[in-house]
Amino acid sequence: MGFLGVFLPSFGIDPAAGSDQFTLTAWKQLFHSAEFWSGLSLSLFIGVVSTALSYWIATSLVIACFGSHWFDRLNTFIAPILSIPHVAISIGLIFLISPSGWLVRWFSPWLTGFERPPNWLIVQDPQGWSMILALVIKETPYLVFAIMAALSQLDARSRIQTAKILGHTTISAWHGTLLGPLYRLVRLPIMIVLAFSITVVDVALIIGPNTPSTLAVTLLRWFNDPSLMLRGQASAAAIVLACGVVCMMLLWEACYFIYDKLRKYVTLSGDGITNIRPLTWFSALVGSGIFLLTALTLIVLPIWAFAHRWRFPDTWPSQFSLNTISRLGQRLFELSMSSLSLALVSGFVALLISLVLLERERRFLQSKLVTTMMLFTVLMPQITLLFGIQVGLLWTGWNGNWWSVLLLHLIYVLPYVYLTLKAPYLAFDERILQQANLLKDSPIKNYLLIKLPLLKVSLSAAFALGFAVSMAQYLPTIMSGEGRINTLTTEAVARASSGDRKLVSSLALIQAFLPLICFYLATVMPKHWTTWRVALRRKFC
Amino acid sequence: MKPLFTLLASSLVSASLFSSLSIADDDASAWQHTVDQAAGQTVYWNAWGGADNINAYIEWVADRVAKDYQIQLKHVRIQDTANTVSRVLAEKTAGKDTDGSVDLIWINGENFRAMKENGLLYGPFSESLPNYKAYVDPKARLSLTQDFGTAVDGMESPWGMAQVIFMHDTQTLSKPPKSMRELLDYAKNHPGRITYPEPPQFLGSTFLKQALHELTPDPELLLKPVSEVNFERATQPLWAFLDELHPVAWRRGAVFPSSSEEMMRLLDDREIDIALSFDVSAASVQIEQGNLPDTVRSYVLSQGTIGNTHFVAIPYNSDAKEAAQVVANFLLSPEAQAYKQHPTVWGDMTVLDYASLDNEQKARFDDLPKGIATLSVDELGTTLPEPHSTWMEALESAWRERYAQ
Repeated sequence: MGFLGVFLPSFGIDPAAGSDQFTLTAWKQLFHSAEFWSGLSLSLFIGVVSTALSYWIATSLVIACFGSHWFDRLNTFIAPILSIPHVAISIGLIFLISPSGWLVRWFSPWLTGFERPPNWLIVQDPQGWSMILALVIKETPYLVFAIMAALSQLDARSRIQTAKILGHTTISAWHGTLLGPLYRLVRLPIMIVLAFSITVVDVALIIGPNTPSTLAVTLLRWFNDPSLMLRGQASAAAIVLACGVVCMMLLWEACYFIYDKLRKYVTLSGDGITNIRPLTWFSALVGSGIFLLTALTLIVLPIWAFAHRWRFPDTWPSQFSLNTISRLGQRLFELSMSSLSLALVSGFVALLISLVLLERERRFLQSKLVTTMMLFTVLMPQITLLFGIQVGLLWTGWNGNWWSVLLLHLIYVLPYVYLTLKAPYLAFDERILQQANLLKDSPIKNYLLIKLPLLKVSLSAAFALGFAVSMAQYLPTIMSGEGRINTLTTEAVARASSGDRKLVSSLALIQAFLPLICFYLATVMPKHWTTWRVALRRKFC
Repeated sequence: MKPLFTLLASSLVSASLFSSLSIADDDASAWQHTVDQAAGQTVYWNAWGGADNINAYIEWVADRVAKDYQIQLKHVRIQDTANTVSRVLAEKTAGKDTDGSVDLIWINGENFRAMKENGLLYGPFSESLPNYKAYVDPKARLSLTQDFGTAVDGMESPWGMAQVIFMHDTQTLSKPPKSMRELLDYAKNHPGRITYPEPPQFLGSTFLKQALHELTPDPELLLKPVSEVNFERATQPLWAFLDELHPVAWRRGAVFPSSSEEMMRLLDDREIDIALSFDVSAASVQIEQGNLPDTVRSYVLSQGTIGNTHFVAIPYNSDAKEAAQVVANFLLSPEAQAYKQHPTVWGDMTVLDYASLDNEQKARFDDLPKGIATLSVDELGTTLPEPHSTWMEALESAWRERYAQ
């Protein structure tokens, strides 16, 4: 349905705009629009470069940390970062690196001599480097996480040992023996990152270039044009964007193929690999810099939220106050509630649906259809799919209410919850449940009281991920909410470039901390759940 | 003879008085009928919800109409009015001609033209609202009857006025440039300190229109639809001006601020020297909130700046047309208008004619405190009319073609 909804309007058939003639006008318009071509190349450039950098930094970090106590620390450090929405990171990054940002303030005016911010083109630069930085900051931890998960499936230690015996250094052992098989395991996360980076809207709106914008932003503008004349053109561009993503994936694979061959050749020839060592250490260093930036980002947000006056070049605010929070308290509360309700409900519903799907899969069929559908949703550009669905929703008049927003959130929450839950759920030792059913013949009760509690770690992790995904949704919310349903995320994006840094930082702060809290609860609760439950029962029974 | 004449005259006068009274009576009873029907209706008002002070004002209106007229007013906070326009259009296309989801819409310019041309509006209604008849002088400003060059024809009711103002920090810039030429000279002497919001953001587009008004050989042409004018010739001086400005502009013209609020932030950081706003009280409000230093002042260009009127309109498929009219009428009351003009409430300029008010009502406006950086109506000077709304689109796409690739 989503596909039809984007396909037909591009050929002039748009029931919502009242036209039903087959034409190619939209496509002609599109190919004549200069903003289209520049936006497209910008999108592809940003997507590919940020993915390549994230991948390179992530592998270097893992190589550098592997085998030392840093490896476990890395693990605990990145997990919470994963739950922080892109929007919060991007906003914090702007406060940090822009010419009037915190970093320049640290060194001004005593070192730099700047009484006024320099006229530097750092944020929203036309080439998109600041956006690439934001994406790398957010995607590197994700890839590190994926790589670590994959590593547990490979016998990394013995492979390195063997390679060392054959005369390789640790780093060349990694490159020669491990990264190849590892890549095959993390191919999917990389493709997700690639598709996401090419088509993301919220990050691009906040920190991306705007002369021109990336294609995703440009086509969103066309789609919302009041004259409704540009809708066909927007749909056509959405299709091109989806094709662009597929082309880039193929290109990526082709490049990797060549790189892999080259690596094998170099590894087997036994020399020339020495220069990879400083490069790896350098990227690992960049990686730690990235983590440092993330931490600073999270520190600068609360400072702004409580500042009253904080003028350049002051390193710290000259006046603090609770004014902003109290002035906006009501609004912040409403937005938080709206975000929370959507996240909780969609996370919970997604969990239920996943359980039903998985149980069905376990009993009857091992089909790949569900997984493929889920992966398709994740890999398909949000903007393309949502355009199509939006046309459908508009046509049926079922748009602009809380339920439609929930539905669209669910479309994106479900795949993540399902895919996270799949492996642990199917790996559950069914004999435990069978045993229970033998002892007491009430399968449903046993399922609820024995199987689910045993899976509580995986269940709460999947729920926390679903919660974080819902919290971060920008496009689904504005598409079906039509501005009537606002969340912390939509408000933060809408106000990101406004003057009110205090408001924006309060929004980003709450938006970052709600998933963090949920994530924290999800890790702590299952551990103590039984103890608490038993204690409660003792007290009351 | 004389008494007879007096009698005749007085009877004539009384007759005409009587007839006018009876018309007024008819009007009054018709209006009373509307008010009666309005009671108990719910009005969904789609209005931009991006500013907390405006949202608070709308809440105040909701409280008042609930108390005085038993109308439930629900503020639907939207981010872009264009979305509401397409929503109503979609409803019309889907054949939903009653019980539409929007009852009142805050609108002007391009969106109004789109709705009017597509037959999406109810009316004419505004000219028969009691407060319109009593206090609005349609001749006082062109923008009351011509909304960006589109005839209003009673299809929308005026709510407030906006005018472009410039802001500068007196500590950094004591004598601000008061024309586009001076602005360019200033930028050349102080590279990187001048900029404007990025079109198609409306203030950015307004800056283009403001510059065009000063630079084009014949500003009269701007009131005509763009298709009737030689666009190339009319805009050539504007592009020449921008070509000169951009290399010495903030970020060398590669990036533009996205809104007035961002310009004020940049002004506060002293990244730029001049900010723009469409809100005459913006500077005072931001100083109070700690977002601007108290040395910032507002000013206008010596040839005047562009101003417009914003309106409320009623979609054709609303089920609460009576209540929507009562709300529109309440918005035009001297009380609501004076409260709206209060600098810390909103600071939006009234559409009422000061001379038509009685003394008590005049006092409401006279007693309003003035923010330290807010200009008085006299200081605001000449208000230049908005060009025909077709110019907006043409200027925006020409700008993007030239500078956003």
